Amino acid sequence: MTAVAVRLVRLHAASRRLPAALVLLAACAVGLRGALYGHWDSYGALQLPLIFEAGCAAIIAVTAGSPFGDPERATGRRLPYLRLGSAVALTGLAAAALAVAGTGLPLAGGFPDILRNVAGLTGIGLLCATVLGGPLAWTGPLTYLVAGAYGLYTDWHPPALSTPWLWPARPPHDVGGALCAAVVFVAGLAAFTVRGARASAGG
Amino acid sequence: MTATSAPAAVRPGAARRGTGTVILGSGRLLRLELRHNAMLWLLPVAFALFWYNGYREIMALPPMWNLRAMTLQNRLLLDLVVPVTGAAAWMGSREGRRGIADLVAVTARPRWSRQLATWAATTAWAEVACLACVAVVYLMTARQATWGGPLWWPAVVSVAGVPMLTAIGFAAGAWFPGRFVTPLVMVVVFFGLAFGTQAASGDHSYWQISPLTAGAVDIGAAPGVATFYPYLPDLSIAQVMFTAGLTVAVLGALGFPAARMRWLAAVITAAGLAAAGTAVALAGTGRLDPHGMIVIPALHDAASNQPVRYTPACSRTPIPVCVHPAYRGVLPAVTAAVAPELTEFAGLPGAPARISQVTTVYRQEPGNATSVGGGGSSAAALVLPDQEPGWLGTTATEFDAQLDQGLGLQLASDVILGGDGQQSGSGPSQAQLAVVAGSVRFPPSVQSRDLAPMYGRLLPQPGSPADRAARRFAALSPAARHAWLAGHLAALRAGRVSLAQLP
Repeated sequence: MTAVAVRLVRLHAASRRLPAALVLLAACAVGLRGALYGHWDSYGALQLPLIFEAGCAAIIAVTAGSPFGDPERATGRRLPYLRLGSAVALTGLAAAALAVAGTGLPLAGGFPDILRNVAGLTGIGLLCATVLGGPLAWTGPLTYLVAGAYGLYTDWHPPALSTPWLWPARPPHDVGGALCAAVVFVAGLAAFTVRGARASAGG
Repeated sequence: MTATSAPAAVRPGAARRGTGTVILGSGRLLRLELRHNAMLWLLPVAFALFWYNGYREIMALPPMWNLRAMTLQNRLLLDLVVPVTGAAAWMGSREGRRGIADLVAVTARPRWSRQLATWAATTAWAEVACLACVAVVYLMTARQATWGGPLWWPAVVSVAGVPMLTAIGFAAGAWFPGRFVTPLVMVVVFFGLAFGTQAASGDHSYWQISPLTAGAVDIGAAPGVATFYPYLPDLSIAQVMFTAGLTVAVLGALGFPAARMRWLAAVITAAGLAAAGTAVALAGTGRLDPHGMIVIPALHDAASNQPVRYTPACSRTPIPVCVHPAYRGVLPAVTAAVAPELTEFAGLPGAPARISQVTTVYRQEPGNATSVGGGGSSAAALVLPDQEPGWLGTTATEFDAQLDQGLGLQLASDVILGGDGQQSGSGPSQAQLAVVAGSVRFPPSVQSRDLAPMYGRLLPQPGSPADRAARRFAALSPAARHAWLAGHLAALRAGRVSLAQLP
């Protein structure tokens, strides 16, 4: 990688507040670790990781917003690669950070659950960034958080919601839920890579 | 003194016009904020979340005001927390996000005043969402409920919780107007609200101040709560006091940066914190009353201890079964479960002239456990299980099975063994057990199970002579069993009938 490329990546990361996002992802992991020391009832323990997963996804989605708008789009030929790289890297880092945070503690669902939920929620966030703009991209993951938490609640208070599109309520190794999350992640990633976040006046 | 430096004379009319101009200007500002508010655009999200998470669950409950109102309090704020807090944080961070803080700082209105107008507009739309959800649930319940009227306190707590959410979100946005603050504050508030209730333990817990807590922590919305006795507003009052105090404190803290009004902001913040702190302290003095609600002595009205007056709903059976009118919907299931026994025992000495539903009695056990018992032990006292159809996913079949397992056996044992079934230290005779077992009709789902562990000494051992006698007795028609009991019940109770003497 040339010095120019490194500089390009660094400037792109700075313009998207990626350093701050990394700090906040780490804070989410620390928060999850601290929360796992608490005593929660059965569905509380199930819902707990989802809150932090949704927080991570919302942070990743918010970094999608660009402060430059059209000038950057017109001149940045490598922008799609930078978008793709930053989104994938942040998603992977978020999943890894949460998994590390749960090491040695009773983390419901384990790593497969974290990977599926973070990927799916990030996909929702990236789709929202494409449609609504980066600053409002949090609406999708956090709205989905409420629905997902309710889905987990119905596992204990039937009738349970069994649709795979509500993947947080499915068991960690459920193929249907994993496929739906993967589809949403790929769709979000593709839309964001190609189009980028919608330029927003309120940004 | 020159003409330009001379103070202008203030005329009363001008002062009045000035006050009017301020009010008019505030109204205009509020109208502008109402028209350009993020909460307006998030209303569909709020309604969708409530419909998906709360409304369907509430409407699946039996149409009882206590169940639906208390569940509404438990669900509504949680469903609103994301759109409401998010919109408030978004509006609060507007000036900083757009980099116009310096630009608007030179306008005539102080920053605090402008912020309060924006917060008020956001809160107004959020309250529209909250009240619309309450209205839909209450209107639907009013059409379906067989007894009673709306419980307003759970709705008041939800309505009072909305300004708290907007105040927290708005203040976070105003103080930290970065791109990450909105999602972060939403996650933090959602976590605090959803998991705050899990820290509650027992009836003395300070955590029951959470506006999501409707009634006692380990009982919540149960059919027996606030049915025979009025809904106690003690905890609701403390919760409203807490949410209002926190709202005032946060809004007061927004005024700290304004140098000229710092003392006023400090006084308002201190007053809000004092109210919230007092409410938390009051919640810690709560205790569970026998009717399943939390009594806070400092807020309690003794008049609320009187039972609710009602006209029971009764069946037209040989022995009438009477239930609280709120349970009118389950009366057919109750009479169907116990119909053969009602026919068999009607008119016999010792049989009740009427079976009436009695209230459930709750008692706090160590930790978060609660014991639930019946308010009477005679054959005339009927305690219905809390697991009514629709309550926490209970099906009508499961409810019927519970009735089938308990009611008939209770009636038969009370009539044949007398009172509580303890006629002597030696326990019931084999003939008595045979008649009890022969009189009770268990459904196939119950018969297929080994009943001995469930009913202990009230049923004979399978395969024993008493069991065979019970089968013979059960083969008789209800009229024949009734006729035999009419002639032999006194002797049977006295233990003077042997197995061989049974028909």
